Amino acid sequence: MISQNPLTLLTPVRQDCIEKLNEILERFKVGLNVGLNERFNKLGTLHYARWFILREDSFRDKTAFPLPERLVFSSNFDGGEDEHINGLVTIFPEYFDELYECCEGYPEPGMRNTETRKSYLSKWKVNTTAFYVGAPGRSLQQIKQEDTLQKYLWNIINKNNWDGKSALEIQKFLREKVNADPELAWSKESVNTPSTNWPGMILMVLIMIILLPIIIPWILILYFFYERRDTNCTATRSQLNDDLVRRLEADEDLFNQNQFTQVLVMKPGKVRLITVHALMLFARTLIKNFFVKGKLMGIPTIHFARWVLIDNDKHMMFFSNFDGSWNQYLCDFIDKSGWGLTGIFSNTVNFPETRFLFTGGAYDEEHFLAWSRGTQILTQVWYSAYHHLSIKNIVNNTLIRNELWKNLTEEQAQLFLKRI
Amino acid sequence: MQELELSEIQGFLVRDYKEMPVSKYFLLQIGDASKAKRFIENISKKITTVVDKDEESFINIGFTGIGLSALGLHENNLRAFTREFREGMVTPHRQRLLGDHDSNDPSNWDWGGTKNEGIHLMLMVFNSTQENINTQTQQLRKEFVEYGLKEVFLLNGETFPEGREHFGFRESISQPAIIGSGVTGIQNDNIQPGEFLMGYKNEYNVYPDSPSLINEQGNINMLPDDPIEKGKKDLGRNGTYFVLRQLKEDVNGFWSFLNEKSKNEDGSFNHEESTKLAAKMMGRWPGGAPLVKFPDKDPGILTDDNDFVYTDTDRLGLKCPFGSHVRRTNPRDNFEETGPAESLQLTKKHRIMRRVRSYGEKYTASATQHTPVDEVGILFGCFNADINRQFEFIQYSWANYPKFKQLYADPDPFIGVKENPEPGVVQQFTIPTEAHNKYIDGLKSFVTVKGGAYFFFPSRTVVEYLSTI
Repeated sequence: MISQNPLTLLTPVRQDCIEKLNEILERFKVGLNVGLNERFNKLGTLHYARWFILREDSFRDKTAFPLPERLVFSSNFDGGEDEHINGLVTIFPEYFDELYECCEGYPEPGMRNTETRKSYLSKWKVNTTAFYVGAPGRSLQQIKQEDTLQKYLWNIINKNNWDGKSALEIQKFLREKVNADPELAWSKESVNTPSTNWPGMILMVLIMIILLPIIIPWILILYFFYERRDTNCTATRSQLNDDLVRRLEADEDLFNQNQFTQVLVMKPGKVRLITVHALMLFARTLIKNFFVKGKLMGIPTIHFARWVLIDNDKHMMFFSNFDGSWNQYLCDFIDKSGWGLTGIFSNTVNFPETRFLFTGGAYDEEHFLAWSRGTQILTQVWYSAYHHLSIKNIVNNTLIRNELWKNLTEEQAQLFLKRI
Repeated sequence: MQELELSEIQGFLVRDYKEMPVSKYFLLQIGDASKAKRFIENISKKITTVVDKDEESFINIGFTGIGLSALGLHENNLRAFTREFREGMVTPHRQRLLGDHDSNDPSNWDWGGTKNEGIHLMLMVFNSTQENINTQTQQLRKEFVEYGLKEVFLLNGETFPEGREHFGFRESISQPAIIGSGVTGIQNDNIQPGEFLMGYKNEYNVYPDSPSLINEQGNINMLPDDPIEKGKKDLGRNGTYFVLRQLKEDVNGFWSFLNEKSKNEDGSFNHEESTKLAAKMMGRWPGGAPLVKFPDKDPGILTDDNDFVYTDTDRLGLKCPFGSHVRRTNPRDNFEETGPAESLQLTKKHRIMRRVRSYGEKYTASATQHTPVDEVGILFGCFNADINRQFEFIQYSWANYPKFKQLYADPDPFIGVKENPEPGVVQQFTIPTEAHNKYIDGLKSFVTVKGGAYFFFPSRTVVEYLSTI
């Protein structure tokens, strides 16, 4: 099973090049609709990518210290990081040259080769604090192949009359068809998808229980000495900067998928820092052992999500790629995982009023939505390798592939056919 | 339970005015603000509130964002309204959310679109007979002239026999009931007032975004205090937002398509199957009977039965397909990622109070009869406190979005189909049957938007207050 990984690069921009860089990014954005995406597709392992310029005024709240302009690149890819960076600079070196020439210290034209480009990019890598994958183990190639298979099967079912046929007979017919098509031979190899690690979960719960004598006083200290003194977001959506929201909306709902980039200032102090790191550890454990079937805390629309603490843990970036509209995505967060979200994000400045780390916060619907929109920033270039597929489709397609070749009962075969 | 100030709330939100089968919606433009204020002052005394039930005709009034501005509401006070309302229905992003492209493009609309005159306010009158409403119209038109109001467009609405719209389906069956409004529904339909009224708590147990007065103007003593921002006055309390869209129905296209898709093997029409396919797409039989209760055969009854859920009765969509109009626009207890109780709670956060009238020739279509002479359709209206989370959410995330639930390429067959999908994009309706799924592909759009706008429906007092600004 292949693993999908995140890469985040934070590269300082040359002061004389900011305008030029904005223009290039704008050109890339337009280019993605007319041909540039094919270059990205060529990589064959890239699920999503984004670029944007991070500036001090990208943050809605005052940053911990003055910040230089930095070009942020983020990608979700299959396999090893070295191979990924190698792919980026060999498949489209001219794009990377054009962009990163605007950044500090990029190799001079005569010095550019795969190695120097790679080592330049790698230098600016920042570590991902927590990373969620909606369809773990599924490479881009697998996602595309299984999409083809689903469409192939759909076509057969749609074009034929099945009156009087049992589900098992239909499954057999489908198998014969696929069997006869050498291009679909790959589908016969059953693939594993991760399952919930119950022993790991039980262990985690036990550890949490053992730690309760620390966790409970910690939460009380947070409440009495921190949360009650916080300043909180009391804005409503109508009070946000209209132009800002309109600019964000201009790039939204063009496809069935959207993206979200949020930048935040962490609340100061060790207590907050320890809290957020502990929660990130908790999140990583849950993601690895529990959220492995296409749902992040019950939210069934997220392809990838990532938290990245930067600038010596003073600032945080959050990225996600999701299905459907912004509003649906945020409402899902409130309805299904309000507590988890509150636990993490209440450690950032100006989050809606939170009590005891997990209550209030995201559940304060209007203020939470205003806070989310207010801290979201423009993603200048965004690439998705499969914006026609929802994460539910992707997870379902793997089940279709496996069940096609399984010996099923009539009832199971009926469920299998309903997936198509 | 939150106590509602029923004598402040415009009646159309709570009552459907079914006793008044004819209606006219006057879309007006303000010529002279001070004259218009005198008109509004007069109207504020005649507004039908929830408690006014004995009048000869019912009158309600709504304002657009540009209307409030034309009336003289200070820029900062207008700014306090939600962006959806201020911007109106026609923006590039909102067009994408609502699916207003091709024939639905606002540049093709008869009113409210990019090529039409601006609408400032809407006066809605409801009466018992055509004759009465015509007399009333003559009187009103005199007043419009007197107070410098220009009639930009007139919409004539009616409720048809058996409450059916032109495709032939009984309309407006599934409605929420606002807790405390005096109307009660089945348990699952009882919704917190803040989902429909500003100044009350909603299903999240918080107050919806409500415009407070930023710059003092007019007689502010008339206004209630803002429940959140201390020391400020609230323009929103007991008010709501109204969405209005004129939707033309291609009745002939719809039934011809279904007749074609349900033909017998020998090529002859099978009208029974065609009706069944229509019912599958709707989720109810034309008379209103829900498919989860009558999956196979039209019971031939007229009913407003809304007391049903899906999880226990139809988890696989064998009776009522997941993609059907009623199942996706009100998913009740059946989201696959949450249990029934939690699903019901989620659904409650995306309900609208529908207020629909038909327009055009009085005609009820069926599989065998579907050629009205004139343009026909509905005046789709709905009330909600958060246009973005309610109306727009339902239209985009549940109706237009083809990947609703686990579906792949299924828009709402009535209101979500794109006229010109991108090349290679399939638009289908999936019908689960016991052994496998059946697909109706090549869906066509049979509903065209002809006009639309978002309105603020203030409380009776705030209508009067607006005459003092």
